[in-house]
Amino acid sequence: MKDLLRKIRKTGRVAEDPPERPAESAPDALRELGGSVQLRHVDAGSCNGCEVEIASVFGPVYDAERYGARLVASPRHADALVVTGPVTRNMEMALRRTYEAVPAPKGVIALGDCARNCGVFAGAYGVVGAVRDVVPVDVEVPGCPPEPEAIVAALRGLTGR
Amino acid sequence: MTSVTGAALSASLGASVLAASAGAVLPRRIRPVAAGIGTAAAGAAAVVAGVAAMTGRSWSAWLPELLPLAGVRLAVDPLGGLFIAVTGAVAVCAAVYGVGYARPADGHGGHGLDGRTVQAVLPLFVAAMLLVPAAASVSTFLVAWELMALASLLLVVAEHRHRESVGQAGLWYAVMTHLGLVAILAALAGLAAAAHGESFDRMRAAAEGMSPAVRGAVFVAAFAGFASKAGIVPLHVWLPRAHPEAPSHVSALMSAAMVNLGVYGIVRVGFDLLGGGPRWWWLLVLAAGAVSALYGILQAAVATDLKRLLAYSTCENMGLVLVGLGAGGLLVTADARPLAALALTAALLHVVNHSAFKTLLFLAAGSVLRATGLRDLDALGGLRTRMPVTTAMFAVGALAASALPLGNGFVSEWLLLQSLIGSLGEGGTITAVTMPVAVGALALSAGLAVATFVKAFGTGFLARPRTPQAEAAAESPAAMGVGMGAAAACCVALALVPAFTVPGLARAVQVVLPGQDAVAGQVTLRLAAASSTMSPLLIAVGVAVAAAALLALLRFATTWRVRRRARLWDCGMGPMTARMEYTATSFAEPLQRVFDDVLAPETDVNVTPLAESAYLVDSVSYRARVGDRIESRLYRPLIAAATAVGEAARRLADGSVHRYLAYGFFTFTGVLIVLAVTR
Repeated sequence: MKDLLRKIRKTGRVAEDPPERPAESAPDALRELGGSVQLRHVDAGSCNGCEVEIASVFGPVYDAERYGARLVASPRHADALVVTGPVTRNMEMALRRTYEAVPAPKGVIALGDCARNCGVFAGAYGVVGAVRDVVPVDVEVPGCPPEPEAIVAALRGLTGR
Repeated sequence: MTSVTGAALSASLGASVLAASAGAVLPRRIRPVAAGIGTAAAGAAAVVAGVAAMTGRSWSAWLPELLPLAGVRLAVDPLGGLFIAVTGAVAVCAAVYGVGYARPADGHGGHGLDGRTVQAVLPLFVAAMLLVPAAASVSTFLVAWELMALASLLLVVAEHRHRESVGQAGLWYAVMTHLGLVAILAALAGLAAAAHGESFDRMRAAAEGMSPAVRGAVFVAAFAGFASKAGIVPLHVWLPRAHPEAPSHVSALMSAAMVNLGVYGIVRVGFDLLGGGPRWWWLLVLAAGAVSALYGILQAAVATDLKRLLAYSTCENMGLVLVGLGAGGLLVTADARPLAALALTAALLHVVNHSAFKTLLFLAAGSVLRATGLRDLDALGGLRTRMPVTTAMFAVGALAASALPLGNGFVSEWLLLQSLIGSLGEGGTITAVTMPVAVGALALSAGLAVATFVKAFGTGFLARPRTPQAEAAAESPAAMGVGMGAAAACCVALALVPAFTVPGLARAVQVVLPGQDAVAGQVTLRLAAASSTMSPLLIAVGVAVAAAALLALLRFATTWRVRRRARLWDCGMGPMTARMEYTATSFAEPLQRVFDDVLAPETDVNVTPLAESAYLVDSVSYRARVGDRIESRLYRPLIAAATAVGEAARRLADGSVHRYLAYGFFTFTGVLIVLAVTR
């Protein structure tokens, strides 16, 4: 316990200072969420590069929870889905059902090039298509993988904080 | 013979005999109906007789010609009347239910329960159970007791052609019940010899003047014998074997009526015939009761066989009754008679309540067994939509058995708790030490009972069916529903207006503690001794109003929202299978872990490697079982020793005539020498 407290004191604050607040870009449907967006992450067939970036977005350095975004464990608790990867055949139905399970109003963030346009996996035999082809997408974040700053900016666009 | 009690009891016994002969001679088609109606009539008449006795119309008779040498001596006082009434009520429910239960169910080929033996013995079993509390002499009592034991044994082994385990259960039951009989016989014969007479009146009068050693020995022997009938740990081992294997309406009769007679015996001998005793008797009773309550409910909490679970719950409830009796006896020695009367009232009320809900639960379990052929909770489930009546009945019984408000078990356990808490200041150090422990045991067993019955109801009846048999279950015939409904009605009546039993219970308690009125009141129960009150009806009304208000509020709060019908969330993959459900085993696993040292569960993991390499696994099998530790630690060695002695004794008789002649010669010479030396 003492070691832990000393460690906390010694380490201090590691989170980066928040950059300038980006312009409001939330879709109309999500405006009423009032600065707090609960996110459910769905890996629709990603190479896990985007997952690493998401992990660092919600880690101590970028700390996206400062801006009102939070990862949750069930679509029933969520306001929006964060979908990564091209939608594979195995995940197509699961993605549809997850989308149906989110209570309205709801949004979808397609995170990474694969989610936007299948990236390097375009035309592969197991790929159904981009996220847009399966569920309606509200926000897209480009990059392979997108940098944490870009993800944070997109999330702040949703939360408006 | 002119009193209501006597007439009703005679009518009841007559109806039993008629039902038994109907069961023995009528053709198979109408046999169950005729025998069932006869038994139900016998039960109804017994209820009338018992209630009449409890309202003060005592009755006695002496029939000198009926048994050689001793004659039959009968007497029904309010205490015996209570047990007669309870037995009669259970018999009515079980008999009506049995009409439907004996009829072969589709697809399961019947249980062979409409055979002559079962149909003829069941009414006799009821008659024997009615005679036990009416007996007023040692010989009458023992004849009735043995008739009851034999009849129930025949009924336990009724389905021995269907399952191997029935024979084993019957053997355990036969041995335990007869060892119990030996103990009771020794106790009562000793008492009769010391009193120079075998009628209960004679013994009651002579008991005062006996030496403490004789009285103590009589009490301990009688207690052991009656406790084995009541299923008190460690003499309970027959119960979790015989109850599951017996036909379900017989289980109900045994578990709800027969075990009560063990309690009756303890009250009759300990309080009435011997007129109370020293402190250590009642400490023994209290300790046995507390251990039994805890051990029984722990085993029930981890049991997966539905009827085994109910059997262990019987151990628990009889344990609670003994806690009440022990506390009552202890308080008499501490000269706190009002509190003692309260404890006894609580114990007797718990006997009544337990009979009501255990009848209901066993009948509901039998309904499930008949519909599915299954007793294993891990294989059941999903019966709510398939067997709605049975499910509702089991729910009522489970609520009652878990000792929560709105159930009848709560009323008697609350009374018991009040008497224990009230007695903290009485009787010095011993009560100051034992009563808090007893309160703790009571509280723990009540808590575990809730877990047990949530498990039984939740995994057995709710969710989805786990096996094709459970999937194909269909509701039981109407007769079974009526039998269960009658038991459920008794439960509800006892839960809402328990005060209607109070005058009768008070008279029964006054048989052993004259002049005490422990509980009063019509709607609200008032305890003078513990200065507290409770009103089950008002609690029920309060809960109903609160529930209605909550529902109305929820409905009102959701009216302005659009309701959306959505698919059950199954992680997007679906469909959810029954394998994802909690099973009875998994539900009880945390409890099993907590009480690991007490239960000592056995787990086997068998890893079979491939023939080519020891590092590649071909199959893994896992088996977990919670056995009865007392059975394996206490009885197995005893059985092994008895077997060893038997085997050794066989060597004495090897068939050689010369040796046998030599035995005779040497024994004779030995006796002569002993006589020559001692004279």
